[in-house]
Amino acid sequence: MVKHSKWKTEQRRAYLVLVLPAVLVYWLVMAFPTVFSVALSLTDYNGGRLFSSANPVHFAGLAHYVRMFSDPYFWIALKNNFYIILISVFGQIPLGFVLAYILFRKLVRMPGFFQTMIYLPCTISTIVVGILWQSFFSPYGPFSEFMQRLRPGWENTLFINPRTAMLPVLFVLLWMYTGTYLIIFLANLQKIEPHIIEAARIDGASEGQVLKYVILPALSGVIVTSAILAISGSFQSFNLIFAMTGGNPARRTSVLSLYMYDNAFRGAPDYPLANAISTFMVIISFALILATKAIEGRFGGRE
Amino acid sequence: MGETGELGRREIGVFGRVLVYSVLIGFTIMTTYPIVWLAFSSFKTTQEFQVNRLGLPRSWTLDNYPHAWRIGGFSVLFLNSLLYTGVSTAAIVILSLAASFAFAKLKSRATPFLHGSFVVGILLTLQSIMVPLFLMANATHLYNTRLGVLIPYTGIGLPLGVYLCTEYVKGIPDSVIESARIDGASYLRIFSSIVVPMARPVTTTLAILNVTSVWNEFMLINILVSKNSLKSLPVGIMKFSGTLSSDYGKQFAALVIGMLPMLAFYLVFRNQITKGVSAGAVKG
Repeated sequence: MVKHSKWKTEQRRAYLVLVLPAVLVYWLVMAFPTVFSVALSLTDYNGGRLFSSANPVHFAGLAHYVRMFSDPYFWIALKNNFYIILISVFGQIPLGFVLAYILFRKLVRMPGFFQTMIYLPCTISTIVVGILWQSFFSPYGPFSEFMQRLRPGWENTLFINPRTAMLPVLFVLLWMYTGTYLIIFLANLQKIEPHIIEAARIDGASEGQVLKYVILPALSGVIVTSAILAISGSFQSFNLIFAMTGGNPARRTSVLSLYMYDNAFRGAPDYPLANAISTFMVIISFALILATKAIEGRFGGRE
Repeated sequence: MGETGELGRREIGVFGRVLVYSVLIGFTIMTTYPIVWLAFSSFKTTQEFQVNRLGLPRSWTLDNYPHAWRIGGFSVLFLNSLLYTGVSTAAIVILSLAASFAFAKLKSRATPFLHGSFVVGILLTLQSIMVPLFLMANATHLYNTRLGVLIPYTGIGLPLGVYLCTEYVKGIPDSVIESARIDGASYLRIFSSIVVPMARPVTTTLAILNVTSVWNEFMLINILVSKNSLKSLPVGIMKFSGTLSSDYGKQFAALVIGMLPMLAFYLVFRNQITKGVSAGAVKG
């Protein structure tokens, strides 16, 4: 009996020692700040001391959220986020799948080489990518050269015209991240039991039928996970746009994260608004993920 | 990969093959051309670039590199990046593994709650903590300090780290642990002599995932430090997009310098990286 309780205390102590560092750091860095931010968004705290009697912090309710929703730049940013989600879910994922499928079914030689090359952009710092493509699409870059050879006298107003400024950004996102999905899908394709596909072929199924009735259902879970990844990832695209356009022209290529950055760190700080934006982003991320999971439930992830 | 692939090759015929190769080759060109263009543009002087944008350099020059290195202050930046990446990755691995050992093998009623909090954290993004971290860093005087960067970097890697490690450690047979207990070993001893060596696959994956994400991290550190002596490589490179952007030669050299470390890392650790990416994506 004595030994047993000694065991238990020792186990409890060991548990604490093992768990405490990670929990402390994580809660300090992620959990607490998130909650803190939500709380601050309901006040008028704008820097300085939190509990000073000279400049007390007042409760502001949803005032900042109202401000946010009436700010036209908010809607521009949201719209751009939406475009990014579209290109991620309907561009990167299908493209990644197609490429993974091609490599998986060994339709070409040297799959390893292609895989390495296509995933390459993911390893480069987004800042480098942003500046690189800024140059690439600028009036002095290769894109202009190509366009001018195709159509002499073509003016490069890509980044100046607010309506087209987002296009290079979307293209670069496609360029960068399709490789990630290629890897994910390929890994999961390789997990499918080969004899299932064998059996289908022996039964006389064509390539297309194998795809439709064997492979896609098996991968449906991964596709949904990837969609979730894509959606949460699209809210995180800051570096790329920051380096590529800085949100310009006139903040037309801004996204929510950049919009938040502008309000917190550019010009006079407006932390309440920034916190409100941040909270909004967390909520919408969670909401979209829940929605995606609900859709998965509806259409069934047969495995 | 199975023999099923070979069946495919015969099935799609010549037209199919041409199509498939064009897609792949086209994509590969699209992926690599900008990088290749960047590389040989960095060997042109700015003057030459202004007249010869697409072709190979007529007179190759290495001058851009030392100049870019000096202007960007890359020596300091490199050291900083190494420090931030190395220390935070080590911390993430150790802390994650320790916590996951406890979660997976030690019984406690707190585990579902604590472990769950980490899993939820995987969905939290940098954005949601950017502003509060800045405010907190100022309040605790950790703004513009190395510690003020390392702690957040460590914290951000923990959710995925704890998740991956816990999944892995669950796979270690209980009998191994129990027999060590019977032999009188303490839990901490079991951790260091059994779990750590056995967990090499997952710690390698975790280390690689974190190295790539921390090395390239920009947003957070940009907010948390303003002193040049503390900045990391990505932050320093950003300098070349502003006032220096018209000095193309140096800008391109700076970009190549920025790319090389991770590119080299990727080419060496290719297989682990791809494994890590797919592991990180299989959540929930």
